[in-house]
Amino acid sequence: MRSAAWRISLWATLAFACGTMLVFLFLHRFVAADIQRRTDAWLSGEVEVLGDVAGHTPKDALYGAVVGEVAELAAKEVPNRLRSESSSNDSVFFLQAGRDGSLKLWVGAGDGVANLKAIKANEILPDRPRDLNVNGFTIPFRVASIRMDDGSHIYLGLSERDELRVLRYLRNRFVGWWLLLVLFGFGIVFFTTRRMLTHVRRISEAASRIGHSDLNTRVPTTERNDEVAQLALTLNGMLDRIESSMHQLHTITDSLAHDLRSPLTAIRGKLEMSLSAATQIEQNEPIVSAIEELDRLTDFLNKSLDVAEAKADALRLSRTELDLDELLRVMIDLYEPSMSEKGTQLRLRSAGPLKIEADAGLIHRMIANLFDNELKHLPAGCTVTIQLRVDDDTALLVFEDNGPGFAPEVRRHLFEGRVKGSGSNGHGLGLAFIDAVVRAHGGRVSALNRDEGGVYISVALPLAAKEENLPVAH
Amino acid sequence: MRLLLVEDEPDIRRFLQTSLEEAGYQVGAAADAKTAENLATEGTFDILIVDLGLPDKDGISLILRLRQMGVSAPVLILSARRSVDDRVRGLEQGGDDYLTKPFALAELLARLRNLLKRNRPSGNESTRLRVLDLELDLLRREASRSGQVLQLTPQEFVLLEYLCRNAGRVVTRSMILDMVWGMRIQPDTNVVDVHIYRLRGKVDGKGQQPLIRTLRGVGYVLKDR
Repeated sequence: MRSAAWRISLWATLAFACGTMLVFLFLHRFVAADIQRRTDAWLSGEVEVLGDVAGHTPKDALYGAVVGEVAELAAKEVPNRLRSESSSNDSVFFLQAGRDGSLKLWVGAGDGVANLKAIKANEILPDRPRDLNVNGFTIPFRVASIRMDDGSHIYLGLSERDELRVLRYLRNRFVGWWLLLVLFGFGIVFFTTRRMLTHVRRISEAASRIGHSDLNTRVPTTERNDEVAQLALTLNGMLDRIESSMHQLHTITDSLAHDLRSPLTAIRGKLEMSLSAATQIEQNEPIVSAIEELDRLTDFLNKSLDVAEAKADALRLSRTELDLDELLRVMIDLYEPSMSEKGTQLRLRSAGPLKIEADAGLIHRMIANLFDNELKHLPAGCTVTIQLRVDDDTALLVFEDNGPGFAPEVRRHLFEGRVKGSGSNGHGLGLAFIDAVVRAHGGRVSALNRDEGGVYISVALPLAAKEENLPVAH
Repeated sequence: MRLLLVEDEPDIRRFLQTSLEEAGYQVGAAADAKTAENLATEGTFDILIVDLGLPDKDGISLILRLRQMGVSAPVLILSARRSVDDRVRGLEQGGDDYLTKPFALAELLARLRNLLKRNRPSGNESTRLRVLDLELDLLRREASRSGQVLQLTPQEFVLLEYLCRNAGRVVTRSMILDMVWGMRIQPDTNVVDVHIYRLRGKVDGKGQQPLIRTLRGVGYVLKDR
């Protein structure tokens, strides 16, 4: 569940981050282009003014000083200027190159040789400023030029330092805010998704708890009217319908049980009365066998209804804590004499107390059924091995014998009920009943023939949800 | 002993009334909850048998109503329902008992006796049980017949003790399973019979009068005379 919230918020944040980044890149390009356009306009204007001044100033001793002064003044009006604390002007240079390419006039930091060299290496056309990398400067210059009447060239260069600084400032500011926004967005998305998913998780937890027999509870609902709340309402509606049909089934089986049991009770009572009235043994015999038949019929009725309800997942359980180990020992105590009378050996391998939460009555009957099965179907001289252990967080009960195993015609329909081997005298509900009870408790049964012969029946039941089942030396 | 029987099925009511009167109870019978309430106000009863499915009222509601009216006698609940209702379980913890239909008369009588015994202030519980020449020492868990100590397993001792406590009365297989092994099951094999058979082999030696009798179709009885 945590991973879903993570995934959703990660993807949402990624999309948001990429989107804002793209928008910023576009803005950045636009701003950079605009700054350059302004720089170029200034450069072109200034170089023209300087060219004009240089053209009109007589080429005397004062020429250098006059033009230099004008160039210095121009340098003070540099656009995008951020800092002016350094008095030495290293962001602008003015250079006049003679027709022969010699340095005629230089205003700027240094001696201008490197700049001239760079200018010579790159052709700079008038009215088309371009970038120029100068040896000794890490930041390139933007350089504009103009051709004088006397064949010399005037170059005006502006360091791109300030432009780059503006852009860097913009980027830093953006990245800071962007990170903050992305984190904030991630937090919001994560929080809301998790809140929503927590509700979904609560619903699914409640739904799984409702499980087999506990149909009274409902999944939690909220006051909001979103899809999740809708889901909870839908689930609850479904549970209402299931509960009502379950209730109907119970009513049917209950009234069926009642309608059959009342006459059975009356018949049994009458039989018992006539039994106590009968004085001769010959009169007793038919009454006794009638009572026995009646008891078998009652048992069949009980099991049939249990199997029917369990198949509809409607078996009612009243769970208590139950120690399977203790129960098995009592059962073995009960069945051992009958087994040894038949020449069957019983062996128990148990790892000690094993607690489950189960309906004691049903579990008793289920395990008695397992023993009855072995007692009825095993020929003399066989061994039944019973194992009880914890396996994969379930209580695993295994009945194994070295008898003839299930007959082929029975094997395919083991759990369906009303199937029995030709030699069996039961009503064939045994395994169906076992399966029904175990499934009602959320466990599972498997029954098969062992490769080396004999029957293997394993019953897996959920453990009680307590730490008492830690292995105990026994 | 005055007993109030509340059962709507006429057949069952009639047979129960006859059998209970034979067993020595004075029976007041009611077919519905209203009659039962009237009978309960007219006289006092030592014990009640209440069927859960009454025409005019749920059996549990009737019991609760009677309790409100001050009837404190123990109740044996008869149920034709399949599983034991949680509410019945609740009542059972309050000192009452239940029995599912159909039942053996012997079991009904045994449960009635148990309820009456539970409710009566018990005097000094004897540490010895004696039936004819059979003697049980409950402290040392030892049984002897005609002075001869019997070699019994602990389980056989419990079984014999149960038979002795009900000496002269019929106990059924399901009662034995419930009281000795603590399980309400109906095995379709002869497990209980084999236990009785073994016990009989030890208790009824050669030349002695057989004490443990089998009543086919009903159960067993330990003779007390």
